[in-house]
Amino acid sequence: MIISQFMTQEHRDCDTEFAAAEQAAANGDWADAEEKFMLFANTTLRHFKREEDELFPAFEAQTGSSEGPTQVMRYEHEQVKDLIGKLAHALEDQDKDAYLSLCESAMILLQQHNMKEEQMLYAMCDRVLPQETKVSTLEKMKKVVL
Amino acid sequence: MFSQNGLSLDQAPPLSVVFRFFFSGALFGILTGLLILLFKTTIFNAHSLEAIILTHTLTLGVMLSFMFAALFQMLPVIAGVTLKSPVQKANFVQYPFMLGVISLLFAFNSNAPWLFGLASLLLGGSILTIAGIMLKNLIKLPHHSSSSKGILLTLSSLFIVILLALYLTGTLSGLFAGTYYTEVKEAHYSFGLFGWIALLIVSISFQVIEMFYVTPSYPKLVSKYLPLTLLTLLVITSIIGLFSSYIWMFSNILLALLLSGYALLTLKRLTQRKRPLTDATVWFWRMGMSSLLLSMAFMIISQFKEIAALQTLSYIFFTSFALSIVFAMFYKIVPFLTWFHLNSQGYFTAPMMHEVIHPKTAKKHLYIHLATIVTFVLSIFIPQMILLAGLLTILSFGWMTYQIIHAHLLYKKTQETGEKFDMNMG
Repeated sequence: MIISQFMTQEHRDCDTEFAAAEQAAANGDWADAEEKFMLFANTTLRHFKREEDELFPAFEAQTGSSEGPTQVMRYEHEQVKDLIGKLAHALEDQDKDAYLSLCESAMILLQQHNMKEEQMLYAMCDRVLPQETKVSTLEKMKKVVL
Repeated sequence: MFSQNGLSLDQAPPLSVVFRFFFSGALFGILTGLLILLFKTTIFNAHSLEAIILTHTLTLGVMLSFMFAALFQMLPVIAGVTLKSPVQKANFVQYPFMLGVISLLFAFNSNAPWLFGLASLLLGGSILTIAGIMLKNLIKLPHHSSSSKGILLTLSSLFIVILLALYLTGTLSGLFAGTYYTEVKEAHYSFGLFGWIALLIVSISFQVIEMFYVTPSYPKLVSKYLPLTLLTLLVITSIIGLFSSYIWMFSNILLALLLSGYALLTLKRLTQRKRPLTDATVWFWRMGMSSLLLSMAFMIISQFKEIAALQTLSYIFFTSFALSIVFAMFYKIVPFLTWFHLNSQGYFTAPMMHEVIHPKTAKKHLYIHLATIVTFVLSIFIPQMILLAGLLTILSFGWMTYQIIHAHLLYKKTQETGEKFDMNMG
């Protein structure tokens, strides 16, 4: 379960950072919101990179399929990246209503995505990858930087 | 391996599949309001014909429609189950289902055996088929979440509710002698309220409370065992109840305690949200859970003291529980799906969630809903108030109908005039 544990914890960390940025924007403290948003965006993008550069290829190599769930996850990453861009714009414009509205969409989208990964993809990774591959993939993922 | 898990790019069913069931549910809600104006306080006598007609308009017409809307949308997300040709299936369910509800209401009113027969055919056929298809897909899942397992049990319960109902309508249409009519009626009623409605909300909440509000997850003990415990309790009680009806008293108290514990836990989870912003949907959940607590408290007291008003209060708050959660889900699902579908289709002019339904609009509905429930409670003591309660019910569901139409028109308009990324570019 080492993949599930590590990756699920990253999801939770992203959630916490996201919520902090949302609250700051709701309070109208834009400098604070920007700082917290950057933290959220960086953690999320690094998490995506860890998956796309290390975890997904390991899974694809093991199962011989690159058009299965990993393809869907990559597509959903693009959707989230698009929203992160829009959130950054709203933040720049200090448009509270737009920012909070985008937050709603982003949160539901992210949670749906996380749920699929946690309940299906990570569970499958932990099941199909040999122990040594799991350990080495995890080590490689921890080294990924943006 | 993966296709069985239903992970595909176009998992989400077309928007029309979800909207149509919300729409028909809201229309049955308006009908509920009209019936309240017509029946007035006779509905407070649980054994009256008026109460039975009203209950079925609410449970079948409103709640089951909303359940279809939610499940068609949520099964791919929470259980990885994708239903093939969803539009066709939705059509197959919706029309016989709506006709079935109407014929059942007329059957109750006229007591005509052929109408009970027709209603059984239409409702039994449509509900059992779709519940069967969903169940078949859920059973095949290689790994379950607490929500998917809970929904599996909920649908099994719904299956039982309908089979018991067919025994009752079969008796009323003269098909069987109905030796166990009273016992089956008791089981039908308990399975409907606890096994189906309460279990549905419990199962969905395991997933959506965490997902929408970013809270810690429910304790494993609760999410893993509560649905199964509720259903097992109902099955055992129904069997023993065939021989001794006293068992229901113990079972009802136990069920009420379990659900009260769940309600308290959910209220606690809502205070542990990582997203501290409180929108109307959080209040709808709070109102739903508080209503469940009140309903269960009145139910426990009425096991010991036979006071009609206590039972009526228990029913009113149970209805408030179910409808509050429906509204909480509605104000998240409809704006999100409208945005999500248009955004996925490449429209960069896709309206944002707040443009589909603004949080202030949802808040106004919260006040209408709260006023409706307060007026209902008052009308137990001041019968004239029931007319206001009926009007508020119409306003509440009318409000909802308008939001669906508005979202649908916005969706169509964006598709017709919106600017789109050319997906084939480059």
